[in-house]
Amino acid sequence: MQRLILKRLGLMVVMLLGLAVITFTVANIAPGDPARLAAGPDASPDMVEKIRVERGFDRALPVRFGLYLGQLAQGDLGTSVYTGRPVAQDIAVFLPATIELVLFSILIAVVLGVPFGVLAAVWQNHLPDHAIRFLSVSGVALPMFWLGLMLQWYLSLELGLFPLGGRLGTFDDVPTTITGMISIDALLVGDLATAGTALMHMVLPATALSFPALAAIIRVNRAEMLEVLGRDYVVNARAQGIGPFRIIAIYALKNAILPTLAMIGLRFGWMLGGTVLVESVFDFPGIGLYAAKAAISSDFEPIMAVTLILGAAFMLTNLLIDLMYALLDPRVRNQI
Amino acid sequence: MKFWKITSALALSLGVALSAPAGAVEKRDGKFWMVLGGRQPVSHVDPGQAYDYAVRMMTQALYDGLVKYSGDPPKVEPWLATDWTTSDDGLVWTFNLAPEARFNNGDPVTADAVVYSYQRVLKLNEGAAWMLSDVLSAENIKALDEHTVEFTLDRPYAPFLSFLPWWFIVNPAEVETHVTDEDYGKAWLSENAAGSGPYTLEKFDQGTAYWLKRNPDYWKGFPYDDEKMGGVIYRLIRETSSQRAALLSGEADMVTDLTPEELEIVGQRPDINVSSTPALTSFGIKMNTQGQYMSDINLRKAVAYAFDYETFVQVYNGNATLQTSAFTDAIKGKVDIDMPRKDMEKAREYLSKSQWPDGGITLEYVYVQGLEQQRQMGLALLNSLRELNIELEMTPLTWPNMVARAADAGESPDLMSIFTTPVSTDPDAVAVQYHPSSQGKYYGSHFLEDDELIEMIEKARKLSDWDERAPIYAEIQQRIVDLQPEIFGMMRQRMFAYKTYVKGYEDSPIRMTSEVDIYPLYIQP
Repeated sequence: MQRLILKRLGLMVVMLLGLAVITFTVANIAPGDPARLAAGPDASPDMVEKIRVERGFDRALPVRFGLYLGQLAQGDLGTSVYTGRPVAQDIAVFLPATIELVLFSILIAVVLGVPFGVLAAVWQNHLPDHAIRFLSVSGVALPMFWLGLMLQWYLSLELGLFPLGGRLGTFDDVPTTITGMISIDALLVGDLATAGTALMHMVLPATALSFPALAAIIRVNRAEMLEVLGRDYVVNARAQGIGPFRIIAIYALKNAILPTLAMIGLRFGWMLGGTVLVESVFDFPGIGLYAAKAAISSDFEPIMAVTLILGAAFMLTNLLIDLMYALLDPRVRNQI
Repeated sequence: MKFWKITSALALSLGVALSAPAGAVEKRDGKFWMVLGGRQPVSHVDPGQAYDYAVRMMTQALYDGLVKYSGDPPKVEPWLATDWTTSDDGLVWTFNLAPEARFNNGDPVTADAVVYSYQRVLKLNEGAAWMLSDVLSAENIKALDEHTVEFTLDRPYAPFLSFLPWWFIVNPAEVETHVTDEDYGKAWLSENAAGSGPYTLEKFDQGTAYWLKRNPDYWKGFPYDDEKMGGVIYRLIRETSSQRAALLSGEADMVTDLTPEELEIVGQRPDINVSSTPALTSFGIKMNTQGQYMSDINLRKAVAYAFDYETFVQVYNGNATLQTSAFTDAIKGKVDIDMPRKDMEKAREYLSKSQWPDGGITLEYVYVQGLEQQRQMGLALLNSLRELNIELEMTPLTWPNMVARAADAGESPDLMSIFTTPVSTDPDAVAVQYHPSSQGKYYGSHFLEDDELIEMIEKARKLSDWDERAPIYAEIQQRIVDLQPEIFGMMRQRMFAYKTYVKGYEDSPIRMTSEVDIYPLYIQP
């Protein structure tokens, strides 16, 4: 197991290097002059040139890449041309917000998706199955952005059940930063009211964000459950008079959950990089909005940093899922 | 047991949050705090660095300049400077400072602070530096005594005063203690303020909200008596639909970027006031006068006469006014010119005189990706040009890509839709857009070069006497229109919506499209 982890971590470094090369090349061959944008629309040519030299945009691409790698090796993610702030400082603020939102979304997707998948399989071609399949098709078909706007309009503006956006109310005090995830930090310091407010602020964006993942989990879990429920050992268990709940929840689900687990891992990675639309609708200050703003402004170093961090998160999540596979399935464990 | 206790407490707090009122006027420490919802993040609050409307809105609240723009038409009014004189040759400008002016930490605002602040911007060579760096050297700014400062220009420059409202005075004592690596305090001033303005910076929560606390002891006082005004929070609300929702629910008291459709909807509410007034901002479709096709003035004229100008107004639901000159209405010395309007007969006449009398060419129209109004204008142009047997290829680009293409005459498209906002009401601020010195900047994407025009622009900016300048600018406007470097479009309105309890809103076309002067605003429920 240790060998597997070390091997995978080694591969991760190589893949991240590859990702850095690709992102760096794409970011630099794309049209757009970051120095001009940073200098402002009216800046004179010498003002633009000053920024170009200061930020090293005048150097040859390989030199810049070498310098960038050296900088990365020291843990320096660079400085935003647009805000002048260290990228690491920005990411320390925005990434935990997105992780918090994505975790909450995954929680919603798993808590609803797995039981719905099981129910749909058990009641195949009956009313619950039709209803759940309708839900899962909607999850794939409805654009997150539109769903977010509808949730905001109806549940927030019309019914006043949830806040419109943000991570906390304008006048709420932010708890002491420990993880950067407000609900977790508030719980850690025993501030339950703030934790509740933070969760309330996440309900709508997390619901909108979780919908595609919910749909995918339902469909995969339903298909796996249908396959597993038809296997000999399940028939055998039924013949032995074991109760249906035990057969479904213990014997069948344990085997059907493995592909769902892989799906959750993949979705987590996708969600981390795909929150921008939901963050935009709900003004949730996360990494998606930060990256989008950087991309619009041709702000190179934040784009690079976000890509690398999301890439690493994606790879780590997949490693974790593989390890969980090994824990749950002795056949996989024995192959390692 | 502990798990259930925590769960119950969380459920209770969720319930409290659920039952909380959707929003009203927010009070904090017994004072009103106004929430202003805008879409543009504040990248920093340093008056010496690059600015956009969000930065400028904040720096105006935190700092004072020697003079300030206000009113409609915009006028330069004394602020830190009580009065000023100019030498006969227009080179020496002397300003007397208000002796009672104080920085927010209590230090007096002195002539030395003015010298320091101007020199800082010129040495940094960022932000507002471009306005004066060609005519003012750092060593030619001098403090004559504690309250008198003198600027000696390298050459006469009539628009000098019109740029000063954007040069803010920082407290040297505070800045100098935070200088690192000879950065002129840039790093510190990005998220801290050292000014004498009506507000202080309470919180800079990047990506979320920026808190300005009213300074009740502001040396110049406030234009209202209500001491209950506590501060203003500029909160980021990125989607216009979310802005509308925030205003309706009371989570925002004022919003700055509503679309014409949104403005119409919220304007029907009795508890909301809307304001839609012409801005200094103009919209035009620039033609690359050095390009393969648009270098032909007859083709430019043909395109200009083929366009249906009513489209400009229609796509903004009437919240726009057609330009009646190359200068927008609030620019000093603007005169009405006989502008091209849709006339297919004239369009065909000009086309017949061009190198492509039968059309048969394809022009490229570039616009900002995602800006629906600009796309609609492109579609209108496409329809018009088909009548001339000219095809239009519509290319949506991100703003950085547009700026990159606009920088080079060889790369610049045939037609590019551009909003332009001058920072001054002096006619030179617009005239210079048609001077070769603007080439490379996005608004210079027409790459116009006309000797007669250049001579007039350079002559007019050196004259101090307005009576001498005015007729030249009238000629300049006519000349620009005659040369047709763009389809002269419209002045887009500045559109704001705010709760009726928000008082003191003052409009001035000098402000950028979404910029508000925070100083006079207050809340009176």
